[in-house]
Order: sequence, then C-alpha cells, then structure tokens
Amino acid sequence: MTITEGQTAVAAFTPAELYARILRDEPLFILDVRNEEEFQRSPIEGRANLTTVNIPYFAFIEDEEGAAAQVPQDREIFVVCAKEGSSQYVASLLAERGYQARYLEGGYISWGNFYDIRDVVAADWGRIVQIARPARGDLSFAVISGGKAALIDPMRHIAVYRELVEKAGATITHLFDTHVHADHISGGPALAAATGAPYYVHAYDAIHPIDMLPAVIDYTHIQEGDRFQIGEVTITARWFPGHTLGQVNYRLDAPDGRSALFTGDGIFLRSFGRPDLGGKGEAWTPILYRSLTERLPQMADDTTLILPAHFSSLDEGSADGVFAAPYAEVRATNDALRPRDEAEFTSYVLSHLPVFPAEYVEIKRVNIGLVTPCEGKAGELELGKNICALAK
Amino acid sequence: MDFNQTLDVKGAKCPMPLVKSRKAVSELPVGQVLKVVATDRGSLADFQGWAKTAKNVELLAQETVNEGGQDLYVHYLKRTA
Repeated sequence: MTITEGQTAVAAFTPAELYARILRDEPLFILDVRNEEEFQRSPIEGRANLTTVNIPYFAFIEDEEGAAAQVPQDREIFVVCAKEGSSQYVASLLAERGYQARYLEGGYISWGNFYDIRDVVAADWGRIVQIARPARGDLSFAVISGGKAALIDPMRHIAVYRELVEKAGATITHLFDTHVHADHISGGPALAAATGAPYYVHAYDAIHPIDMLPAVIDYTHIQEGDRFQIGEVTITARWFPGHTLGQVNYRLDAPDGRSALFTGDGIFLRSFGRPDLGGKGEAWTPILYRSLTERLPQMADDTTLILPAHFSSLDEGSADGVFAAPYAEVRATNDALRPRDEAEFTSYVLSHLPVFPAEYVEIKRVNIGLVTPCEGKAGELELGKNICALAK
Repeated sequence: MDFNQTLDVKGAKCPMPLVKSRKAVSELPVGQVLKVVATDRGSLADFQGWAKTAKNVELLAQETVNEGGQDLYVHYLKRTA
C-alpha cells in the first residue's frame, strides 16, 4: 500500500509484535509522529528499555532534514501515528535516508484496540484466562470449566471473547461486571444480547451517579452472597462499595482448594480504585475505607489470587504479562492496605486524586444505555490509558 | 474570511492534507491566503501544531462547516514572507 508515488516501500509491524517486544523489554525506539497533545494524552508505555520520542509528522514536512537529524541512525525505528498514514509516510522518508524504519499497522487506534490473551491458571478443573488491553491498562477474565464460561468485566470488542470461549469448546453462561465502568465501554450488555447469557451488575451501579437516571439496559441485579456454579468452580459475589456504590468482587473457589478474587476497581495490585468518579469523593471515601479494612480480609485468604481490572504500569505484572498476585503479597506491597486510621486514609485519598477525565461521565452513560455512541465516538471516548487508580 | 485560492483535500487522509497544503502555500504570492477544505478531523489539531513552527505561514482561522451531512474542516493559511 503506497500513499505517494515514488515513496520507498517500508514494512509494518503489528501491535502483537510490539507488545511481545515490550514485554521482553527489548531495547526499542518508538518515534511517535502524532501531534504533541495526542502523544501526551496516550503515549505507548513500556519498560526500562523503551525509548519514545515525539516528533510530529508535520515537522518532517516542514523540515525533513532537521527532523530526521533527531532520529538515531544505528537502530531500528518503530514509527507510530494515529491512523497509520503519517507513520508510513515518515517511515518512508527515513528509509530513503538509509534508516531502518517500520510503521505501526493501523496506527495507535489498533494499538488501543489490541487484546492480549494468556492463561493465569490452567488446572484439571479448567482455566482462568486474562484478556488484557495493554494500551489502556484494562484487564478482564474468563473462567472456563466443564464446558461453561463466565466472563468478568468483558470489554467492548466482544468477538475477542466469543472466539476465545468457542476455541475452548465452551459456552458463555454468565457475564459479570464488577461495577459500571467509567473509563471504558463494557462488552457485557452486547454479549448478553448476542449470547443470551445474563448480564450481572449491582443495582446501585445501574443508576448514573451524576445524572441520577436509571439504566435502560437489561441486567440482572447481583447481590452480596449470590453464588454461581461454573462447571467445577463456584463464584460468589462479595459487595465491596467505595470505588462505586455497587462495586462487587467475585470470589472463585476451585475443587483443588485454589481461590481467586476478581477485584475490579476495588483493589489493584499496587493501588486501589479512586472513590470520586461518582462525583461524591468525600462521602464515598469512608465507605471505601471500610471495604478495604473490614470487607476485604473476609473475602480473601493469604493464597487467594487477586485479579484486578486495571494496571497502571507493566511492572505490576509478571515478565510474561500476567497481572495477578496472592493476597498476602498484595497486603505486604500495596500502599492501600498500609494500616491507617480513617482520618489519615481520607486525607491521603483526597489529596491523591488524579484529574477527573470529562469523558468518564459520558462513558458511564453509555454503559447503562443512556447514550449509544457510534464506533468512531466509542473509540475516542476510550482513547488513552485508564485513570481509575489514585495518583502516586 | 477573504482568501485568494482554494485547495480541496476532501477525502485525503493524514498526512496528505498537510503535505499538499505546505506545497500550495509555498507557491502562493507573499501576503495571499489559501483556503484548505478537508474532511479529516485530525487536521484541526495538526494544522495548529504545524503552524506553530512552520516558516512563513500563519494559520489565520479554522472552522467546521456541515455540508450535506458531512463535516468539513476549513483552514485559512497566509503566506507571510
């Protein structure tokens, strides 16, 4: 595919290749040619050996030689733009000058919509599969056992989940959202419509906290203590209010004694979900405090695997990109669980709230059916990384 | 907004609206204004970013107009020297 006659042909790289290299922490040089604002909003993040430089493509149009001089000649250049065209253009210019350059297939949009799938647990009774969107720091899960599959916090691209479950020879029987998300569009209602499986969410989250309007999607109210059998495993709903009033953790118990807790935005591996996205931070912070200090110890054992809905940094995961840790480890390393009294906790939380993205109010509307965006708008709402955790 | 010439880049995808605009504005007599009509929404932010460092070019104005259900992004570029 060429965009201008006479351009040097250059090869593309895929999001999957990029992510594999990032996880291996290979020395990588990303040349991001989007405008500065877009770059600042959603840079591609990696580990220690990733170098990212932002030189907008129009700098190459304006002063090709000056812009190219800022790019190292002794290493491969991975060029990234918003939709592909400009990165292909810049990669071609660089190739003509003797650089080794490739461009990201589909641009940042395809990176943002890239899903990475890997097993967290594979046992006789079945599997726990992590389905991640690395660009956003979003995590979702499939529990597959005895030909049945429950999905926890499935995201917008529902074909990813349907293919995964079909390939496993199973049927989707339960769709669990830990809460009504503010940072991304849930795949739960669409999967319910496509598969007939019930979509579970807590009724408190079915009211938009800022609009004070009720959900118009079909959902089944999940409550503290509700139990479900998925093949050989049991899943129990545990109410964990704070990030939202209806946040629910799902505890999995397997026949071999293993357990896991899908914590959504209740607690992450190194942080926890901010309590202000409903616009009621001061009122909800004490509720979150009690969930963290009183409810959590009752729903997790030392060996219970904590499986959250987000990560902030790749370093929170294992070398192969699995974001899970036993509760004992999380308790020892997560600042959220450091012993504090309520006043200290409240002042810590309220002084560490990151920016409140305006689109989060709209995304909650989408997730309870008050608004239906087109694909382009949905993609824009979800651009960039989640900001659901407290600031450092 | 008064202008001297029009460049139609409707349907052109990034980076072509800017590539063509750069060329066209360079060919304008000094002091004249080029009206660029694009359908790529990203051109709004990109023209702003480009104009900050572009030589002898001033971005006089931008507007979004709806024509037959389609949004058009219009940029007015002046060759300053």
